[in-house]
Amino acid sequence: MSEVQAPTPVERADADGTSIRRFLIRPEAPALAFLAALLIVFSVSSDKFLNVSNLESILTSVSVLGIIALAVNQVILTGEIDISTGSMLGLCAVGAGAVATSFGGLALPLLAGIAVGALVGAINGLLVTVGRIPSIIVTLGMLYALRGVILLVTGGSWITGIPPETRVLGTGSVLGISFPMIILLILFLVMELVSRHSTWGRNVFAVGGNRRAARFAGLPIDRVRFLAFVLVGVFVGVASVIYMGRAGSVQTNTGTGLELQVVAAVVIGGTSISGGRGSSLAALTGAVLIGVILNGLVLLGVPGIWQQAVLGALILLAVSTDILRRRLLGDKA
Amino acid sequence: MIGKMNSRLIYAALLVALAVVLASCGVGQNPSQGSGGKSKGPTKICMMPKLVGIPYFNASEKGAKEAAKQLGVQLVYDGPTEAKAALQSQQIEQWTQQQCSAITVAANDPNALAPAMKKAKQAGIATGAWDADVAKDARDVFINQATFESIGYKLVDIMAEQTGGKGKFMVLTGTLTAPNQVAWLKAMKERMKEKYPDMSIASVQPGEEDLQKGIDLTKNYLQAHPDTAGVFGITSVALPGAAEAIQQQGLTGKVAVTGLTTPNDMKDYMKAGVVKKFVLWSPIDLGYLAVYVANAQVKGDMPKSGTFKAGRLGKVKVLSPHEVLLGPPLVFTKDNINKYDF
Amino acid sequence: MSAATAVFRRLKFSREVVLLGVLIVLMIAMGLLSPLFFTVGNLLNTSRYFVEVGLMALGMTLIIITGGIDLSVGSNLGLVSVAIGFSFAGGLPLPLAILFGLVVGVAAGFFNSVFITFLDLHPLVVTLGTFALFQGMAYGLSNAEAISNFPEWFAYFGQAYVGPIPGQLFIFVVAVAVVWIILSRTRFGRYVYAIGNNEEAARFSGVPVRKVKIALYSGIGLLVAIASVIYTSRVSTARGDTGLGLELDVISAVVLGGASIYGGSGTIGGTVLGVIIIATLRNGLLLAGVPSTWQLFVLGVLLLVAVFLNEFFRRREE
Repeated sequence: MSEVQAPTPVERADADGTSIRRFLIRPEAPALAFLAALLIVFSVSSDKFLNVSNLESILTSVSVLGIIALAVNQVILTGEIDISTGSMLGLCAVGAGAVATSFGGLALPLLAGIAVGALVGAINGLLVTVGRIPSIIVTLGMLYALRGVILLVTGGSWITGIPPETRVLGTGSVLGISFPMIILLILFLVMELVSRHSTWGRNVFAVGGNRRAARFAGLPIDRVRFLAFVLVGVFVGVASVIYMGRAGSVQTNTGTGLELQVVAAVVIGGTSISGGRGSSLAALTGAVLIGVILNGLVLLGVPGIWQQAVLGALILLAVSTDILRRRLLGDKA
Repeated sequence: MIGKMNSRLIYAALLVALAVVLASCGVGQNPSQGSGGKSKGPTKICMMPKLVGIPYFNASEKGAKEAAKQLGVQLVYDGPTEAKAALQSQQIEQWTQQQCSAITVAANDPNALAPAMKKAKQAGIATGAWDADVAKDARDVFINQATFESIGYKLVDIMAEQTGGKGKFMVLTGTLTAPNQVAWLKAMKERMKEKYPDMSIASVQPGEEDLQKGIDLTKNYLQAHPDTAGVFGITSVALPGAAEAIQQQGLTGKVAVTGLTTPNDMKDYMKAGVVKKFVLWSPIDLGYLAVYVANAQVKGDMPKSGTFKAGRLGKVKVLSPHEVLLGPPLVFTKDNINKYDF
Repeated sequence: MSAATAVFRRLKFSREVVLLGVLIVLMIAMGLLSPLFFTVGNLLNTSRYFVEVGLMALGMTLIIITGGIDLSVGSNLGLVSVAIGFSFAGGLPLPLAILFGLVVGVAAGFFNSVFITFLDLHPLVVTLGTFALFQGMAYGLSNAEAISNFPEWFAYFGQAYVGPIPGQLFIFVVAVAVVWIILSRTRFGRYVYAIGNNEEAARFSGVPVRKVKIALYSGIGLLVAIASVIYTSRVSTARGDTGLGLELDVISAVVLGGASIYGGSGTIGGTVLGVIIIATLRNGLLLAGVPSTWQLFVLGVLLLVAVFLNEFFRRREE
């Protein structure tokens, strides 16, 4: 999936560009611009949009999506993809929920969710690296297999009666800011740091940008990708506890359809699907953008059945403008 | 090159072997199309919910198994993992081959299943529908849990008790086109018009059977319309969602909430006082009755009117030769909810 | 190494032979699990379901050979179903409505190809987007409702029998023959393999890469539309959620049939065997009383195992 690519053009642009040009070159630029435009449009068309509580509720409602998108972003940066996250969320929630209803507390269910997620992520990672199976196939197969596992493990029953102390991550708040939002922002900052300043983070860009060159340079390609998949599992585990907190119970269809939104968020935010270009800010922007759009659609009275269509159109719009923008700005990618 | 020729030979040989295997199946088995007719063997009742994996249909399975055991018949209870009519249709056709004595289904779409059910009928299989009907000419009997009116009226009556018979209400439903949800809404509006003219339904929102979505929709609506007197959650996913939203917004006791769902989901909300009363019927009894009716169809002693004796349910009303009624809806309250486990 | 083992070794890697063997073993196993499996009625009935997946898998084979992929086929199926049903309900005579549906299917495929060829976008992300877009349009345009009042003769496509054999099987056989001829006997077929092996080199040697790709994605749109007519006719109902999830079966069948997901190899024979194996598995499990929840799990695992074995043997060969 990752092709041979020219080095990322940020360095080139820095040398010859004005600061506007330098901003436009950034992968998140179109998404941020679009987000700003939408905020203006929605505030003007509906007076219920631009208030603190509505904005806060948007950010809270995309917290699960955003957290997972931050991790899938890394996978996509390495040139792979992960479309199993919806079923993963369901399975982690089942694990965390089962532990919560038996033992209560917060730490144990959280650990359980993360453990389940890390395990599934590791399986994905192994199948891709050691098994040499393309990640689209691995995660497509896992998407369905895991959903089957959820049904088999729960026997079709829902998990209800999650104790309040477990739900804190989903329902609690500090100084009026909800926990889901706080966790999202913290994880964003962590990912920004890791992505730019850790060896692994920089390797991710190298592997995704030009795998052959990375191999010649002696980078541990398999380990880099494997860890990316495990990271997805860990983040999904955390997100599952937040989800459980907000929803109050775990159903067998938990997470269905989420994987598409996650990939959409990453891609719409500006990370390139071929790998090597993008950032955590792109993933976060994409998730917020999706949340704003869905919220706006509801406020404008657009029937819910059109949501999928809007999502799909956005994905196409985002990748098209990305290509066009890069051509216009003289990138050969 | 030699290898390739040999591999072609082996390929051909395997094809011949496949043909022999296929041909041999014609011998020794009944080759006719409708081999799944009324077999002389033990009665096999094939029962299909809308989908598997939700508590409501798990409960009907419990009842069905209980009835099958009492009657000494074989029960196959299975359905698709998603509520899709085409998947049901496919499975019904395969069941028709499988020598079911009776096929009874909770339909996701009344018309999409009609061709498959009609074929089953032609093959001599007793056909029925339960919980959600198919087209009338595609089945012999419909086992109805409660009339749409009795459910709709009961919901409105409960809400009227809690809100003094007036106010604007929101309805959280599954999809805007599900036939039973549409029918309940109609009955609710009728009841309001004749008995509680000061009550009105201000908005109907589809939660698409997604718990989180239902919560978010209700929250958003209540924030935008703080004068809402109550919320109806009329599916087993919608009511917990609506209750959760009201609890999270701190509106317990200020905004009334009622609807239809299975009791286990509601036990905590009842304890917290978010929901005082809500309605359902017993899906366990519904499943139980469906099996009894199917069995009577196979035996040929299904009455055409009056009442029908269904095991521990006693005498059940036969509304017409084609419809059996389970009974009036069940109202769950704080006092009786702990008696139920589904 | 003796001559026999050398021949056997080369045999092992003949994809179709392995698959045929797997199919026979599977059928015997299913027959043992349920005595109802090996009835003519059942086998023919099963063949009805794999026609829809099979038609799409034929087109998908060519696309995967070029190294591409199309995740939007299931949603396209629903969109065509809605197009047929709702244009008919809107007053269009049914034959024209069916034609309209075919046009919509091809147009949707062409839509995909525009993004993939003119904008040079990766087929994965384009068809991921159209997967959502087509599905959303199908739901939105139909308002999540269904149309069922088709005239009697419409049921012919999906429910008719010629003697004991389901009608659509003939359509499938014809389609298999046509696509097989295109792939293995025409210049176009050679172009397809060339693009899959090395797109740049193919372009330099004069292969009209863009035109080929447009033809492929539009072509699968046509196959999807035909499958949709059959599917809609089978249940006599046009719905927006028709076909959702079928892309898994289609891709699994192609990959099981031996096509490499990276492109460059694959055969129609292999795909057909893959389709039959999956349909046999689904049917056999159902007859054996295995609940649907297990089937979901089994098919996911099957896809993984199939691709793993694929790549494993391919690597051994190199």
